[in-house]
Amino acid sequence: MELVQNDLWQVLGVSNIDANIVIWLNGLSGNVKLFDDLMRVIASDYLMPLAFSLAMFGLWFSGRTRAQRVQYQITMLVGISALTLANIVVWLFNITWERPRPFVEYGDQLNLLFYPATDPSFPANPVAVGFAAASAAWTVNRKFGWWMFGAATLFGFSRLYAGIFYPTDIIGGALVGIAVYAVASYLRRFLEPLITSFVRIIRGLSAA
Amino acid sequence: MNTDPEIVRDVFASHYFFFAFMASLGTLQIATSNSGIRGLWLIPHRRLTRWLGVALILAGIAVFFAQPLWIEGPWAAGSVEADSVSREWGQADWGDLGGARNVNDIDGGLDGTKQAIWFPLAAILAFAVSAVVGTLSVKILMKDAASDATAKDNDLEITGGLAGMVLRSYFANLPDSLRSLRSEIVDDWRTGLHAADKWSLFRMIFGRS
Repeated sequence: MELVQNDLWQVLGVSNIDANIVIWLNGLSGNVKLFDDLMRVIASDYLMPLAFSLAMFGLWFSGRTRAQRVQYQITMLVGISALTLANIVVWLFNITWERPRPFVEYGDQLNLLFYPATDPSFPANPVAVGFAAASAAWTVNRKFGWWMFGAATLFGFSRLYAGIFYPTDIIGGALVGIAVYAVASYLRRFLEPLITSFVRIIRGLSAA
Repeated sequence: MNTDPEIVRDVFASHYFFFAFMASLGTLQIATSNSGIRGLWLIPHRRLTRWLGVALILAGIAVFFAQPLWIEGPWAAGSVEADSVSREWGQADWGDLGGARNVNDIDGGLDGTKQAIWFPLAAILAFAVSAVVGTLSVKILMKDAASDATAKDNDLEITGGLAGMVLRSYFANLPDSLRSLRSEIVDDWRTGLHAADKWSLFRMIFGRS
């Protein structure tokens, strides 16, 4: 299965384009140390994932009226469900196709700025999570949502620059994130009573 | 890595918790200053509350990423390479700071699941701190010429929940929130029983209206 997918990737020429982009982009590193360090910080496992979580947390308290607050809170809960779902979808991709990381295939041509991750490359899990959170924010507040999409894209770019993902991994991750949020929104109608009851209980504790 | 991953994980967990707490507290201040929920403000002034929120988030980020300079961990000066396996225990120097926190989860970094546990705990603590300190803010606000809040505020008539904290502290608002929840549950129970009765077997058999 993996061989078939890798061959298909080669035949379509995607693999070469992918590799050329990551090698070129990563080749820019090593010139300005401050920029490299900034990319290392942005690519870290802590900064952007926390920013996505904070965005969801902030949305919970952001509504100006009760109706708006309920809308934000329900969207936030759907967003959190989408994050969980995104992890499951990425895991399903990973067990189907263990795409090697760029530093495994082109290690001699890359200046690795991040630790060599051991999980498969496609699709980019952190990007999927970022885009799922951004999609949730976008549905209730367009301006804020675009900022979130920008942050998720920057996160993907930093990981590409660091040499640990291919561009198609980033694009795949973004598509998974958006698609998963769409599915979670669709499923929401079936879970509406449950979600509303949860919000009510939290409101009973003066926190919603 | 020359250190037990469990020890590294403990270091990361405590640092991450503080980072998440500071950033959550800051986010909460920005969000509540926008939505006017005065019961959760740390300072009884809207604009100051917002700037305090920004400062808390930036301080959280700065402390978390600069901590390796003064706290020992898997980032000893000169040993911080992309590959976290070969690192030494010690304090980092400025040159290593950018990559000091990039430790693989199999070597002691925090994976997504661990972060998903620590973040909610930090967020709950941030809410609790805001609720306690906010009580003082509300008292000061109320003294301040009946406050700048007016009866025209969005949903002042609604008691309970966050809406009730526009002019009240968390603790003053809690009894109303619980009362409102209880009455909602009672209403739902009655409505549910009524709906169930419509379709009850008894009715179907005996055709009672």
